[in-house]
Amino acid sequence: MKQLYYDVKKCLGCKSCEITCSVAHSLTGELFKAINEEILSLPRKKVLSSQGKNYPVSCRHCKDPKCVDACMAAALVFDQAKGMVMHDETRCVGCWMCVMACPYGAVRPNIKAKIPVRCDKCKDKDEPACVKACPTGAIVWQEEILIEK
Amino acid sequence: MKQFIIIGNSAAGIACAEAIRQRDKESKIVVISDEDYPSYCRCLISYYLAGDVKEDKILYRPESFYKENNIELLLNKKVSRVDPKKNHIICEDKTQLSYDSLLIATGSTPKFPQMSGIKKRGVFGFRTIKDTKEIEGLLPVTKTACVLGGGLIGLKAAYALSKRKIEVKVIVKSKQVLSQMLDFEAASMLQKKLQENGIEIILGQDAAEVIGNGDIKAVKLDSGKAIGASLIIVGKGVEPNIDLIKDTEIKFNEGVIANNFLQTNIPNIYTAGDVCESFDMTQGKHTVNALWPVAIEQGKIAGCNIAGDNLNYDGSLAMNSIEFFGLPFISLGIYRTQAGDSSFEELKLMDPKINLYKKLILKDNVLIGAILVGDIKQSGIFLRLIRERIKVSSLKDRLLQENFGYPDIIDLIKEEKEKIYV
Amino acid sequence: MSIEKKSIDIATQEMLKKAQDESIKTAWDRLELQEPQCGFGQLGVCCTVCAMGPCRIDPFGEGAQVGVCGANADTIAARNLARKIAVGASAHSDHGRDVAHTLALVCEGHAHDYGILDVEKMKTLAQEFGIDISKSKEQIAKELSKKLLEEFGKQEGELVFCKRAPKKRQAMWRKLGITPRGIDREVVELLHTTTMGVDNDYKNIITTGMRCALSDGWGGSMIATDVQDIILGAPVPVRGKVNLGVLKENYVNIVVHGHEPVLSEMAVKASHDPELIKLAKEKGAEGINLAGICCTANEVLMRHGIPVAGNFLQQELAIITGAVEVMMVDVQCIMPALQEVASCFHTKLITTSPKARFPGVAHIEFQPENAYEVAKQIIKAGVENFSNRNKERVNIPKQEMDLVAGFTKEVVFQILGGRYRATYKPLNEAIISGRLRGLAGVVGCNNPKQTHDYFHTTLVKELIKHDVLVLQTGCSAIACAKQGLLVPEAAKEYAGKGLQEICEAVGIPPVLHLGSCVDNSRILTAASHIIEEGGLGEDLADIPAAGCAPEWMSEKAITIGFYFVASGVYTVFGASPFATLGSNNLTNYLTKDLEGIVGGRFEFCDDPLKMAELMISHIDKKRKALNLKPVMY
Repeated sequence: MKQLYYDVKKCLGCKSCEITCSVAHSLTGELFKAINEEILSLPRKKVLSSQGKNYPVSCRHCKDPKCVDACMAAALVFDQAKGMVMHDETRCVGCWMCVMACPYGAVRPNIKAKIPVRCDKCKDKDEPACVKACPTGAIVWQEEILIEK
Repeated sequence: MKQFIIIGNSAAGIACAEAIRQRDKESKIVVISDEDYPSYCRCLISYYLAGDVKEDKILYRPESFYKENNIELLLNKKVSRVDPKKNHIICEDKTQLSYDSLLIATGSTPKFPQMSGIKKRGVFGFRTIKDTKEIEGLLPVTKTACVLGGGLIGLKAAYALSKRKIEVKVIVKSKQVLSQMLDFEAASMLQKKLQENGIEIILGQDAAEVIGNGDIKAVKLDSGKAIGASLIIVGKGVEPNIDLIKDTEIKFNEGVIANNFLQTNIPNIYTAGDVCESFDMTQGKHTVNALWPVAIEQGKIAGCNIAGDNLNYDGSLAMNSIEFFGLPFISLGIYRTQAGDSSFEELKLMDPKINLYKKLILKDNVLIGAILVGDIKQSGIFLRLIRERIKVSSLKDRLLQENFGYPDIIDLIKEEKEKIYV
Repeated sequence: MSIEKKSIDIATQEMLKKAQDESIKTAWDRLELQEPQCGFGQLGVCCTVCAMGPCRIDPFGEGAQVGVCGANADTIAARNLARKIAVGASAHSDHGRDVAHTLALVCEGHAHDYGILDVEKMKTLAQEFGIDISKSKEQIAKELSKKLLEEFGKQEGELVFCKRAPKKRQAMWRKLGITPRGIDREVVELLHTTTMGVDNDYKNIITTGMRCALSDGWGGSMIATDVQDIILGAPVPVRGKVNLGVLKENYVNIVVHGHEPVLSEMAVKASHDPELIKLAKEKGAEGINLAGICCTANEVLMRHGIPVAGNFLQQELAIITGAVEVMMVDVQCIMPALQEVASCFHTKLITTSPKARFPGVAHIEFQPENAYEVAKQIIKAGVENFSNRNKERVNIPKQEMDLVAGFTKEVVFQILGGRYRATYKPLNEAIISGRLRGLAGVVGCNNPKQTHDYFHTTLVKELIKHDVLVLQTGCSAIACAKQGLLVPEAAKEYAGKGLQEICEAVGIPPVLHLGSCVDNSRILTAASHIIEEGGLGEDLADIPAAGCAPEWMSEKAITIGFYFVASGVYTVFGASPFATLGSNNLTNYLTKDLEGIVGGRFEFCDDPLKMAELMISHIDKKRKALNLKPVMY
């Protein structure tokens, strides 16, 4: 199963991934139109910094997802076949338990849309939009690898 | 072949059943519920009453779940007694079932205060789908309603009624709403929001009597004032359903007491969920934390251990998340300290203009509680800091920043399960 | 992207294929590597003005909404846009200064290679500056050149050429405080307002921007155009050829690229030098073939019928034919990539301007004082390079197209009015009677983000189909010329009935080539004459006309857009919108509010047929406002 990995040495914190993610998940899918949609699409990943290094933070699709446990509406489910946490918007009530439960702070609430904002690996596209958008190639999309700390 | 019995068909029960089945495909699992309804998302009943969620979305697991997982489901059956010596349970209808291991996940029941008229028709607890449907049935003939209690259940019920265009007044004994979850400042922000949206909150008063002949007409408060209402919802807390073990040697306090493997004092009897009294890691003592995610975690670990694992449960803690009219509130662990108690350190951020409030409570440089209003996106990180007891001395000036996040704690985490940074 | 999608011009397609086969990277390849381009930059909400930044505004509302200094998206986008106006104005005005300076040198006797070729025009100009034209030619020239150079350093008053505009327009500028005072002053002041902590009011920034743009359109560019006519001769209609096919296999090919014709004029002259031609024949060539790219090509085309090898996006492709011995460049629109591309062939890239150098590239500095000598030196280098050409790698596309160029305001007088009564009357009457719907200016660059030449040609075809006479300059004109629109015969094939009749009667193409990008000032002057002639309103905004830069890329295009809008013209910009969309306020101000303030506004559109629809609808609106008869056909 392909996963998103981040080369922190290359991340410049330019946030191109964020803006592309917003556009990719907007209704129109085009930058100039997306910024004027009624409910603005929020980026599924956020680039945060610490000690001079930049880290894109987004859902890792944990094998034992805390958010799935916390969801009181059974809107979140771990799909074994796809290897990712799936979110069913029709069941979601915007209770924000998943936001509270995520140990990475990777889920944010979109209060206006009443939907948690979380990475879905751009499941309807060939590859996540952020991968191509990163000007330094810091975002890597590949089969799961084991990373030694 | 072993037989495991799970009393309770909600969060803890299902989590336990799934955990067992993941490890053990052979043993028999029987789930017993005293409700006449398949497993449903109990926390969603207020949304259902409000009309935000349709009935088909309220099921927690589809009907096929039991068959697919080879689980026998017995609905509408109340267990009246557990017999630890004989390893069997006795139901109200006199049937007996034996077990190799048992999970008590019987949940809790709404508390009804002692007062005249409390048993009248039109007074409801708000816990089950049955309650909800009965309340819903009365809505067409209801103009005003009263909610007794300013807790989560009460406010959620009030929201639902208000959404259905019922004039609702909430009677709160304490000086603030959500006294079990928010401090005074946060509660004030919530009260303002609720009142702005047409939900009247009456603080510092208690209901004394329900008035009416046959149908309810009003609620009389201890001040003497009477509030007209034809529907009353009681949200004055819940008490664990421990009747079935009261006369046994199973130890209980407020709830059934669990050790760090979620066993009762009887090794093959486990407990989880709203009925369970477990070690609270922030309070340092055993309490009942009747919360959905807590129930899931406990049920899971109990299930793993029933199936033969030896998983340690670090303990529960309070963790609540709600949102009213676009303003979210999250409360974790210990959210209020005694005035003048210097062993705790408080970090606060308050901006009433934008309804922003953050309060972090530390003890010995470890986070033990938090309240977040308005900006809740970092609550997962705070919960983690509490659970993993991470020393945050080096982070104190970062904790309340808007862009505080995972990268700030990355070096303080012992071991990460999913690694994504190269 | 497939090659067909990159350009509609066959010659370009062929050379793109050659580049692909030979692994040579072109602008299209470099664009692909840049994609996706930064969203913050595209929206204009990235600010790099001061060291407290760089800052960006989150267009989705979650992150920062102001920079460190507190500037919001409106301010940031407006400042960014203003800087572009200033740069565009600087480019044109500096060119104008160089030309005015050349005239001064001619008068002082230091630039022997040039002379006063259009004495009439010089006298007309002198009168505008209040110079007594009864004096000698030399005396007039001297005083005129002094006055022209003064326009650059003026601090107060009004630029003299502003008086060419209709009185009503001048009054409007005065009222708004945007009459340009001095060419250099306006650029300096505009830049000043954009630095950290000066102007935070986007509307005010645009106002200052318009004044600076006007100092280009009615200042720097106009000086460039008119003085070029004086010292190089005013263009007259001339036939020429356009596209890569003008490069000749058996000739020494010299390509002149850039913008200032003081250089390319000398190149033209030197290419006829008998000694050099003799040398060329000795090297085995049949002669010397001079061709141009971009605006300098347009200049020598307009005056000498010199063939045009291509427009902006074809500059690398000319070299890729393998048949270019020397590409001599001066300033503006010259891709740094030329160095790399030239190094793949025998082609010698030679820079000539002290303002435009390439590290490691041969530089033969060109000054008006030694103009012809330098030109000869460069051409000689080309001739000597002929033997280094690798015949195996030569592939010159066969496409070359005829065109007619050389239309200036004076020419239009003559053509439309007849020899004895040079006047705009027939043109005005054509519009009034409805035989002509109106006028359109289609100008500007190329941009690899759009299918090369597609927007220009599709738009122009649609406009002339609806009886709109199209005036063109720059790379846009070259694009349409390549598709055969700039010949009289094109009227029969593409124009509406009314326009056809006029073209047949007068013998002009339905699309008139007015020259280079500084020659956009010719459009302003012509428009002023149209108003003066009468019957079409009292202000430039009244004319049934519209402008468009369908494939623009340069900052100069922004400045041109602004001086047209500030002169009352509805101006459409093509697929790459201004980087202002990150500020709704600024975008609305430019595309809606400005019309009520200066009578002109911008429109952003990404489809050529829609552009035509918008322009035609605007022209019709103006016709209605003048109570003109309906369009004839």
